[in-house]
Formats: sequence, structure tokens, C-alpha cells
Amino acid sequence: MLVELKEAVRLINEGRTLHIAADDMLLKQLPKGKWVGGTTPYFIGDEGGIFSRDLLFVNEIDYADEISVSVYGKYNVFQLVEECYDNGLAILIMPYGSNVAAKYAREAPEVEELLMHPTFGWISGYDLDAGGEAKVYDGTTGTSYTDRAVVMYLRLPEGKTAMINMINIFEDDKTDPVIRFHENDLSVKKCTVNGQEVDFAEYIRKKGIDTRMPLVADYNGSYFNISVKSIEDDRVSFYAPVFKNVDYRFAVRVDDYAAEFEKRIAEAGARNPVMSCNCILNYRYGELNGRKIPPYTGPVTFGEVAYQLLNQTLVYCEILG
Amino acid sequence: MDPQIQEKMQKIFRGELKYKSANLAFNMLITKSRKKVAEDPGSMEGCMKELEEFLAKYPIVAKVDLANIAML
Repeated sequence: MLVELKEAVRLINEGRTLHIAADDMLLKQLPKGKWVGGTTPYFIGDEGGIFSRDLLFVNEIDYADEISVSVYGKYNVFQLVEECYDNGLAILIMPYGSNVAAKYAREAPEVEELLMHPTFGWISGYDLDAGGEAKVYDGTTGTSYTDRAVVMYLRLPEGKTAMINMINIFEDDKTDPVIRFHENDLSVKKCTVNGQEVDFAEYIRKKGIDTRMPLVADYNGSYFNISVKSIEDDRVSFYAPVFKNVDYRFAVRVDDYAAEFEKRIAEAGARNPVMSCNCILNYRYGELNGRKIPPYTGPVTFGEVAYQLLNQTLVYCEILG
Repeated sequence: MDPQIQEKMQKIFRGELKYKSANLAFNMLITKSRKKVAEDPGSMEGCMKELEEFLAKYPIVAKVDLANIAML
């Protein structure tokens, strides 16, 4: 829910456990308590998409038996698989452009045991028009970081399970050419298209590809997106890394994001998501400002984590049982 | 694990049978195991062990998947 500063302060001072997203000017005014947070001034609220530097998005966590908070750098971020509660959920927030986010993005898919630990998370950001610095907050100490990941671990009661899922409005056309990359990387020059080596930037230009549509990879019917960040000189940069030995295609064009979300939300059938986040690119390209996509409310983010880093996706968590 | 389900899961990991779960983590596990088995068929045993651990960890979710896989 979206609340004003004094309400967020009241909830913290009452000892509630909270997951918070807001502009840095608001987060820095919050008292210490049982909370973690990250910066963004974009949200999907009950009344639809909204940009606000005066409101905070707050999820109250009243379904955990116990919580703990840890802060990690790029050298130890994967300790999270060891520090998770056996039956739990990890809420991971990392700043956009940080080394820890890049490390997590590149290596998470290869980390043993990661899939055994439900991990929901997001990349914090800033006002795209005004610029700024992405931060995360460990509310237990009141400390903010631009180069660290903050994780809140939740221990769930016996018989309850956290299930992370996503809604992706994009899919591929299997008749399109298959694109493969040589390395796990956030920026590439070369790739193969149907087995033939090409200069990727030139290929995009020649084909007139709309790079607002992400690259998609089919993970057993679940599509994972990689969004193009920029094409400069002869290099193509992405918001999340591409991986070698994975088949990618550009997504089929989506014209009405909100209508497509409505369709996918109905298909997903989630009853009561306790948390969700949606990508800034969906918000911008899909013109979600003022448009509702119930029951999913939460921060609008610079990357989404459903175990691994995703782009242009809505990620949500349900507590089952 | 039921031997019939075990056999079907091995077929899924070899790409001989298709199954899509409603559980994202399970789909990710299938993709990861398929890739491992395609690169090294000898890794099947390790993948099956990981699968058993996964299913044991999420009995609420696994129940639905196991019932669906039994019907394949």
C-alpha cells in the first residue's frame, strides 16, 4: 500500500516488519526498525501506476515467524543460499549499476541450491528524468548503501511455502532466427544468428528491430527477458546479462501492455500475492501511469529477481499452505 | 520417488517428454537439468538427486506437479 511518511514511521515504531520502496528523501527520514528498503519514485498502487516523491510503498510482513537482515557485497552475496531459513523466503534488494547487482546477475543461474531457496527481489533505481543514485537500506541499522545488497530473510511457519512466480507479457515467435552469445555478458559485440556469426549492433540496425522489445529465452515454457539498454558504436548493452548456450529471439511486438497484462494476470490466477514488483520499462513503454493491474501492487523497479535477475517482467510472491 | 514418475522425469530431462509446471522454480530446474544432461548424459543421477531434494523441500507445490507428471 502507498502511505505518507508519518504512517510509515508509525508502522516502524509499532515494531511491524516492513518491505519499503520510496524516494531516497523519504527513506532517509525513517527511524530504525524491522525494515528493508530500496529507492524508486515509481509504483503500481491500488489506483494504478504512479510517480511520487511524497509516498512510500509499504508491504507489511505479518506471516513470518522470525526475520533477520544481512548486507552483502559482490564477494559474498551468494552466502544468501547458506543463510536462508530452511523454510523461508529471501527478499533481496540491490542498487542499479552496482557491482553486486552485476555479479548476482551473471552468476545466479549457476549457483547450486539457489532454486531451493525462494528469492524475491528487485533492483532499486531513481527518477529517470531528474537522475540520482540508486540505494538500498538496512532499516535495522538505518544505513543506506549504493554498492551493497540488502537481504531480509523470513522464516515461515511449518506448513507454509513461499512460491515465486512471474508474469511476462512477452514471448517469442519460434520461426524467428535463433540468437546465441559467446559469453555470459552485459555487453556484446558479436553473436550468432542461426549459427552464422554477425555483428549484433549491425544486425539490429539492418533488420530494423524495435529494441523496446526484449530478447526472450524459453525456460521450459517460462520466458525470461533480457532488455536492450543501449547500442553505442558497435556494442549492444543489456540490463541483465545474456548467457552463452541459451537460445534467444526478439520478442513479438506488444502494442497494448495493460491489456496484455490483464490477459496474463487472468491466466496466472494468483489469488493473494503478498509482494510484487514490475519493471520500469513496462511502466514507461506500456504507459502504465494511472493504469491498474490488480491484484499486483508494488515498486516499479530497474530489474526484478525471481531467483535470478530478470527484465521487463512482473515478479510476485505468494505464501501457500 | 515413484519409479513411474522417476522414469518420466528422466524422459523430461532427456527432452523426450514435455512438461510445463505452474511453478517457476520447477521450470528453471527442468531447464537446468536438461542442459546438464544434454552436455553430459552421466549427470542424470545428480539431476535426479537434486529433483528429489527439490520435491521434498516443497511438498505443497510438488503434489500438483507429481500428479500431473503421473498422467503424462
